[in-house]
Amino acid sequence: MSSESSYTPSLGKVVVVGGCGFLGSHIVNLLIERHPNTRVFVVDLRTNTNRNASANISYHDADITDYAALEPLFSQFRADAVIHTASPHFNAKKDILEKVNVGGTKTLLKVAQETGVKAFIYTSSSSIVLDPKTELHNADETWPLITGDAQPEYYSTTKAYAETAVLQANRTPANFLTCSIRPAGIFGEGDVQALPKMIGALRKGQTKFQVGDNNNLFEWTYVGNIAHGHLLAVQALLQTHKLLPTVPLDSEKVDGEAFNITNGQPVYFWDFARAVWHEAGDTVPLSGIWHLSWEFAFGVGAILEWLFWVLGKTPNLTRQQVRYSTITRYYSIDKAKKRLGYAPIVDLDEGIRRGVRHILEQEDRQKQKKGQ
Amino acid sequence: MPSLSSLAYYAIHPRELRQIIQWKVWHNPVHERDETKDPASLKRCFDFLHLTSRSFTAVILELHPELLVPVALFYLALRGLDTVEDDMTLSLDTKEPILRNFHDILEEDGWNFDGNGPNEKDRQLLVEFNVVVEEFKKIKPAYKAIIKDITKRMGNGMADYVKNAEFNVNGVDTVADYELYCHYVAGLVGEGCTRLFVEGGLANAALLSRPELMESMGQMLQQVNIIRDIKEDHDDGRRFWPKEIWSKHVDKFEDLFKPENKELALNTSTEMILNALNRADDCLYYLAGLREQSVFNFCAIPQSMAIATLDVCFQNHDIFKKNVKITKGSACQLMTESSQNLQLVCEVFRRHTRKIHHKNNPHDPNFLKISITCGRIEQFIESIFPSHPKPVDMKSPASIEEAAKKKVEDAEAKWDTIYLILAVVCTILVITSSMIFIAWLAGARFDIAFAQLKEQLGDLFSWSSNSTIAEVAKDASGHSEL
Repeated sequence: MSSESSYTPSLGKVVVVGGCGFLGSHIVNLLIERHPNTRVFVVDLRTNTNRNASANISYHDADITDYAALEPLFSQFRADAVIHTASPHFNAKKDILEKVNVGGTKTLLKVAQETGVKAFIYTSSSSIVLDPKTELHNADETWPLITGDAQPEYYSTTKAYAETAVLQANRTPANFLTCSIRPAGIFGEGDVQALPKMIGALRKGQTKFQVGDNNNLFEWTYVGNIAHGHLLAVQALLQTHKLLPTVPLDSEKVDGEAFNITNGQPVYFWDFARAVWHEAGDTVPLSGIWHLSWEFAFGVGAILEWLFWVLGKTPNLTRQQVRYSTITRYYSIDKAKKRLGYAPIVDLDEGIRRGVRHILEQEDRQKQKKGQ
Repeated sequence: MPSLSSLAYYAIHPRELRQIIQWKVWHNPVHERDETKDPASLKRCFDFLHLTSRSFTAVILELHPELLVPVALFYLALRGLDTVEDDMTLSLDTKEPILRNFHDILEEDGWNFDGNGPNEKDRQLLVEFNVVVEEFKKIKPAYKAIIKDITKRMGNGMADYVKNAEFNVNGVDTVADYELYCHYVAGLVGEGCTRLFVEGGLANAALLSRPELMESMGQMLQQVNIIRDIKEDHDDGRRFWPKEIWSKHVDKFEDLFKPENKELALNTSTEMILNALNRADDCLYYLAGLREQSVFNFCAIPQSMAIATLDVCFQNHDIFKKNVKITKGSACQLMTESSQNLQLVCEVFRRHTRKIHHKNNPHDPNFLKISITCGRIEQFIESIFPSHPKPVDMKSPASIEEAAKKKVEDAEAKWDTIYLILAVVCTILVITSSMIFIAWLAGARFDIAFAQLKEQLGDLFSWSSNSTIAEVAKDASGHSEL
């Protein structure tokens, strides 16, 4: 764990693109908390949610695919660093994914290069090396990217294209430095995917079931740790920038590199879910869990999918879910540890506690509203 | 002679019996010892080794000849210290000077001690300690220095604990105290052994630059003993489980043993096991630094036993009622598996790690921490013996443009293949037809061949065919034979 005192009071002027989103807002909050004198510009499609009250932050509505709108903004910012976290939802349409992830990133790169930005940090995804057929055991950043026809998730394909573009832009011009952060299994306060789905399963009484032998390790990352990783990357790139034109050793280089950022605490797939459920009040004992074999669940999932397809709905159990809950998927974060000095600042169980508490509080508020 | 109950046990657990037989019959010591030339004093030392140590004797006796005697004497010296420290009948004034000066006693000719209480198990060792001193003086000075250094530090550490009145009344207070205690009685042994191995050239010297690894080796063994012996120690009036841990779950230490507190006691034991389990990956790392087979076995066997013991103790309320042990069959299996190579030991660790994980209770306060620790052990094993190598780079496209280009190229490649096949087929057709034509010109009777083929096929599928080759031959008069 890093000590608080070693942080400089200011990182200069930092643009957080997507700073009103789930991860982006955590980055903004940590940035202001840790480097309080930093001047922060948040650029997002809509800036009316997840706002931080600090006077050092200004909010700007803009579409990152629109060069004409971005150019004057960035000329006005004259930023030192850009953190680009904006991305559509995992399940968004193909053309949206392509337009925002690939087109938007390229536009941002261009604007940043033109306005003298020193450091550009891109939020990629660890799923870009995930081939649905092969298991990931301790995968590091040297694993090949899986895109195009080999990659069933178009989201991952576009993230891979965007990351490649970002890393290729490194040192063009020579004083423009880039790097990429690849988080895995993000969760935390404000998360709309992982935890809400799990709590939903709890509310539907599905915690009695478990698919597979639960020997598959899976990686989850608390959002605050990912924010921490991003800030370390900003610091590292700005540091490298100071040393220009000296180029760091290959084994210490941060610019032009991608980094896996996780909690570094892979756990068995169902253990994470059970910990979330327990935190949310589940009481099913270990002996009360029904273990479904992988094959059985896969078959049932297929049948349900067909039946529900006729009805035009999606069932609670799908083959994709069965596959996801039985696959091994964890990463090595040694590179981030060595080169960024990264270590998770929030443990997995503390992260779960925060995330679940946040959801339960929201539920309570909604109940009160209804009650009134 | 095996007891009747054990016979009955093995009758229904034949696999365990097989493991025992396998170990007894197939295991060959790495180094055999020739006892015939040993002097009387050394023989007596080995007698004591047999008397005092149960689990360690076998592995010590198979050690490389270079280290066998030094390690055996090291063990006896520590056993001597232990016998003084443990004896509740000795007064503090008697104990303290012996503990603090034990390193000098090791070279004091003719030293022995008969002050131990009559019930002290290893009393006789101290009564005849002069034989240990006699042999100690003969070993290499480098080994002597290491053993003396460790004995000195351990003796002083023990003396501090003995003097600490609070420790005697309330047992261990904080986790830090607990680990410090384990450091004195076991961590130091790890250090001593490692220095002996390196001095003897049987282990990688780099082990000395990672002191936390050898510390973990000792901590793991000691902590497992403390967890397993909770009931026995409690009956004897000793408390090693730190208050910092048990007080989170129960108010009074005695409450752990009350049947109504089963859940709380199990939660406490989980936290204790978690603390020990955290050392497991360090232990595997350490084992990777050992070069010589007998040294590897010496270190690996106790570690495998330790993780297996953690497994049987995990979520097992019996540890608060009786002495829980791994069965003899599993012990033999563990010994067989742990006297080969690191990969097999990693398998043992992975097996017990998963067993622990499957017993992990989601409503235990340390549920996720256990899961994380198990995951860390698995990840560590994966990092030294990858089960799934990095996939081959299929050269996926790196941008939209590349993907589009690749699509065009793929389409071109597809048509290229189709053209190639077409060309091959055409060539074959042309050649075949011209050959048939030439054959026909030369007078080949294709009609006969065709009829024959038809007939044979007819035989095969039992069609009734009227036409015979002869008939066809008669008709074909226009085409004369050559």
